[in-house]
Amino acid sequence: MPRFLIQFAQQHEEFRLPELEALATIENVQMTYNPDEYSLASPFLVVEVDSAENAASLLKRAILVKTIIELWGIGSSWDELIENVKKHPENWPQYLDTTFKFSVVTFGGTIEMKDKPEIINRFAFTGFMGKIDLKNPEEEFLLIADYGIDPNVTVAHTFYMGRLIGQGKRDLIDKFNVKKRQYIGNTTMDAELSLIMANQALCGPGKLVYDPFVGTGSFLVTCAHFGAMTMGSDIDGRQIRGKGKTSIRSNCEQYDLKGRVLDTLVFDVCHAPWRKINGGIFDAIVTDPPYGVRAGAKTLGRKDPSKQASEPRIAVEHGVFSHLLPDYIPPTKPYEMTEVVADLLMFAVKTLVRGGRLVYWLPTVTEDYTIDDLPSHPCMELISNCEQAFGQWSRRLITMEKVKEWDGEATLGPPTGDMNKSTMAPKQQGHFGFRDRYFSFGVVDNAKRKKELKDAFQKGGVEGVAAYMKQREEEKKQQQQQQDQQE
Amino acid sequence: MRLITHNMLQCHVRGCNANNFPLELQEVVLEQEEAEMNEDFLRNMLGKLEYDALVATCHKLDINDLPVTLPEDAQYNEEFLQILHRIILETHVKSGKMVCPNCNHTYSIRDGIPNMLLAEHEV
Repeated sequence: MPRFLIQFAQQHEEFRLPELEALATIENVQMTYNPDEYSLASPFLVVEVDSAENAASLLKRAILVKTIIELWGIGSSWDELIENVKKHPENWPQYLDTTFKFSVVTFGGTIEMKDKPEIINRFAFTGFMGKIDLKNPEEEFLLIADYGIDPNVTVAHTFYMGRLIGQGKRDLIDKFNVKKRQYIGNTTMDAELSLIMANQALCGPGKLVYDPFVGTGSFLVTCAHFGAMTMGSDIDGRQIRGKGKTSIRSNCEQYDLKGRVLDTLVFDVCHAPWRKINGGIFDAIVTDPPYGVRAGAKTLGRKDPSKQASEPRIAVEHGVFSHLLPDYIPPTKPYEMTEVVADLLMFAVKTLVRGGRLVYWLPTVTEDYTIDDLPSHPCMELISNCEQAFGQWSRRLITMEKVKEWDGEATLGPPTGDMNKSTMAPKQQGHFGFRDRYFSFGVVDNAKRKKELKDAFQKGGVEGVAAYMKQREEEKKQQQQQQDQQE
Repeated sequence: MRLITHNMLQCHVRGCNANNFPLELQEVVLEQEEAEMNEDFLRNMLGKLEYDALVATCHKLDINDLPVTLPEDAQYNEEFLQILHRIILETHVKSGKMVCPNCNHTYSIRDGIPNMLLAEHEV
């Protein structure tokens, strides 16, 4: 099988392989690779695909793939690379007369402009006789030097040569950039992740995709961009209607997707009015549940169940039932994160078609998170679980696929963790009480700083404080550097 | 709200479990808006639609283009798919209400957005 070299973007690393797998599924491409060769710390991966056409189809909607080349050789030096390329002269003849150009590309290092022609000339042995065309060549050949992500390394460790198959669709990130979008809210998902989610959900022509926490509708437009018909609902109608002239509708107009974004409705997903359809309604559910950091999740009802009305209430000043007033908004109560996620999963079990996907974000407290925290269901298979880390907390993009019909009975998986082994308080899931804990990170930190400052003052007065501040600055710098290196 | 969406909604007031579909459209303002034809999607939805309810709803709105019974070759009947497309994807309810035939609960539609929220005592 022909080998191809994929160059990923060196960001959202955990999302890259799941997206690639999704692209292969969407395009029905047989692709194999050695998982041991893949590293989050490198943008390169060698894959085998049966044809260049099929490799090219992987690029049609790839967000995290930058380029794919048909691989003609690998080496640990230019010399070794040349030796290996020379072993397969059968690759060359069909490009003898095409217009072409060679480009020298580096990752994690630089090769000066003036040194590039010399490198390119060393590949003259291919004997291409076509015209060199730097602007619009029929074929482009890449010479890649990989220095790795360690900034202290100044020599490249791996060299690749190959024929360019094409570029991914990273330009879509700019097209859907939220800064250029007419209507956004403070929880609007960024364009890159929204697009990746549409891929994870296998969105495509003919499919119906639903977002039950639609907010300002990011996923409606990115999923529709790839051809799906989309619908959304939210308990908060103000989000859907937007402000003045900007709304979900105006976004659909902006991206010319009015024909594919079918409808947005106002309701609470715990009390959803979807008719039961045998075999399921939705081909995918793509959503970012409000996990309560900037906008707390809400469900219909009252916090105090004893105050919950069982009969219609009368609006005294109007003398009619209050729920019949045009601006009636029913009372809502907080919706705990573990419940939101459990309900979402059950909703997916009931409403997805077989083979349909659920793609959602799960926020977790990093130190408490274990894989057992993920709610499970016998009808749903976990496809991928990608972390986007933010220090003490992170969010995970969970992709699940409905693999069998629901029998109407099976419920969510058994309680997880080691609750039965321990006599201590049962372990809570890493997303339990997420909102409160998110806000306490800062509080704990601040209290600690205050105490340290006080100690420093008692020990060394003003100078002690200055020394402490200096020390803090340096710690921060170090942390920043570590983070930068990780990125 | 497009008619395809209407076909997927039922009354969900607590205890209202029978004769709660289709919701009756009343005092509606309709609008036609062109959309690209998408046969794959229509074929996908054919098995999910409640066809009789769609025909009945259309009759009440004085739209009488749909055949009374679903053609056997619906999947590949170009002419039929065109009509279906125009009705379920290009016909929008801009405003009006949907009334449950069983419990009479009224759901309002404003700016094309149906409000399906339940009142406190209906949850």
